[in-house]
Amino acid sequence: MDPKEPKHDDHGHNHDHSHDAITASKNRSYYEIMEIAVRELLVEQKLIGADEIRRQIEVLDSRTPALGAKVVARAWVDSDFRSRLVADGRAACEELGISFYDDTQLIVLENTDTVHNLIVCTLCSCYPRPVLGLPPDWYKLKPYRARAVSEPRSVLAEFGTVIPDNVEIRVSDSTAMVRYLVLPNRPNGTEKYTEEQLAAIVTRDTMIGVAQVKL
Amino acid sequence: MTSRRTALKIGAAIAGGFMISRGTLAVDDFHRMPVLALGEAPLFKVGDRIRVLKRSPIGHYRVPTYVRGKSGVVESVVEPVRVNNEEEAYGRNAGSKLHYYRIAIPMRAVWSGYSGSPLDGLRIEIFETWLERV
Amino acid sequence: MTDTSSLMTRLPNDIGGVPADHIVRSEHELEPWEKRCHALADVLDFRKIINTEEKRRGVEALGSEIIGKLTYYERWIVAFSNILFEKRILTPESLSKKIDEVSLR
Repeated sequence: MDPKEPKHDDHGHNHDHSHDAITASKNRSYYEIMEIAVRELLVEQKLIGADEIRRQIEVLDSRTPALGAKVVARAWVDSDFRSRLVADGRAACEELGISFYDDTQLIVLENTDTVHNLIVCTLCSCYPRPVLGLPPDWYKLKPYRARAVSEPRSVLAEFGTVIPDNVEIRVSDSTAMVRYLVLPNRPNGTEKYTEEQLAAIVTRDTMIGVAQVKL
Repeated sequence: MTSRRTALKIGAAIAGGFMISRGTLAVDDFHRMPVLALGEAPLFKVGDRIRVLKRSPIGHYRVPTYVRGKSGVVESVVEPVRVNNEEEAYGRNAGSKLHYYRIAIPMRAVWSGYSGSPLDGLRIEIFETWLERV
Repeated sequence: MTDTSSLMTRLPNDIGGVPADHIVRSEHELEPWEKRCHALADVLDFRKIINTEEKRRGVEALGSEIIGKLTYYERWIVAFSNILFEKRILTPESLSKKIDEVSLR
């Protein structure tokens, strides 16, 4: 079994865990060779450019949770920005230079004293990639996708997050072109923090909603 | 209204008034509202009670089984109109656009025997053709 | 005769609410080829050669055995190949020849 892949059961059916790569020369798997072949044929047919793939890899490498943290920190210190962010998440991110390279929209979900937000994609792995980067494996696998929508409190407990019963847990399941980003609550004791210091305490998991921001 | 739109309205009113007085534009024409094409206006508005249909399509779908047949409320209308994602999956990249709606459904209405707080809720975007008014 | 209609009407990825295990907090850094595969998906979508929804359908159409046995990006690249054949952009023969050529490098 590929040591990088966790034991997983992606879908509602039992299956082998035989993820052994069919190793070709130079330790490339059968699928890596397929990827190379498909890409080169498309470039030869001038349907895509080789430089486009290289550029998109650079785009992907540049998208990390630090971008989302910057958005959250700005919303915490600037209430007008926060209003614009909640009204149109994508446009507000673009104000900060965070472009959206696809057709998706962004809804920013504000945590309050009465609502705690959690995001999931039960059908696949929709995730706000332009502003958070690529999702962690657990977000894409069956346990989270099946249970976040039906037993969010027990899922949060597995992450060490306990939300009182008098606070609503609101689960957003992305199925179309809208993506979500949770705007977590700003913790007490951060009144004198700079924007950079605030961004440093906002982790990826707090913007998914499985964790709360801690000092 | 933004100041730009106000300025345009005033400008249009002045131009319209000028044309009405010159006899080149009938008063009725100035006030006539454009007819919207089918599908341009959202079928549902914020606050409408709706139900997700119980269809069982084969091929491809983007409405999870767990939410079908459930009733909820339209929380927002997603703008602009978009292609039906179930048709998009078969190569339709444009045309036949309708609205998606962000629907709010209490968790206890989604799952019988829901064990969390009675306050907990679900939000999900659903395409117009999958919804009916309750 | 067993009723197989649920295989038709319930997609393998439609798992919201089904019983499942506790969450294992796995994460892994993408292999270079996986990152190239993700970039390829984005470029194909941007170029409207294969849109994101077509990719999803293509993965679902692999069926539960393949879905269960292949990893995330392995499923993507196989789905792309199938869709490119359907669209007559590639042929099975042209791809297999290229695969043989790449394998020899």
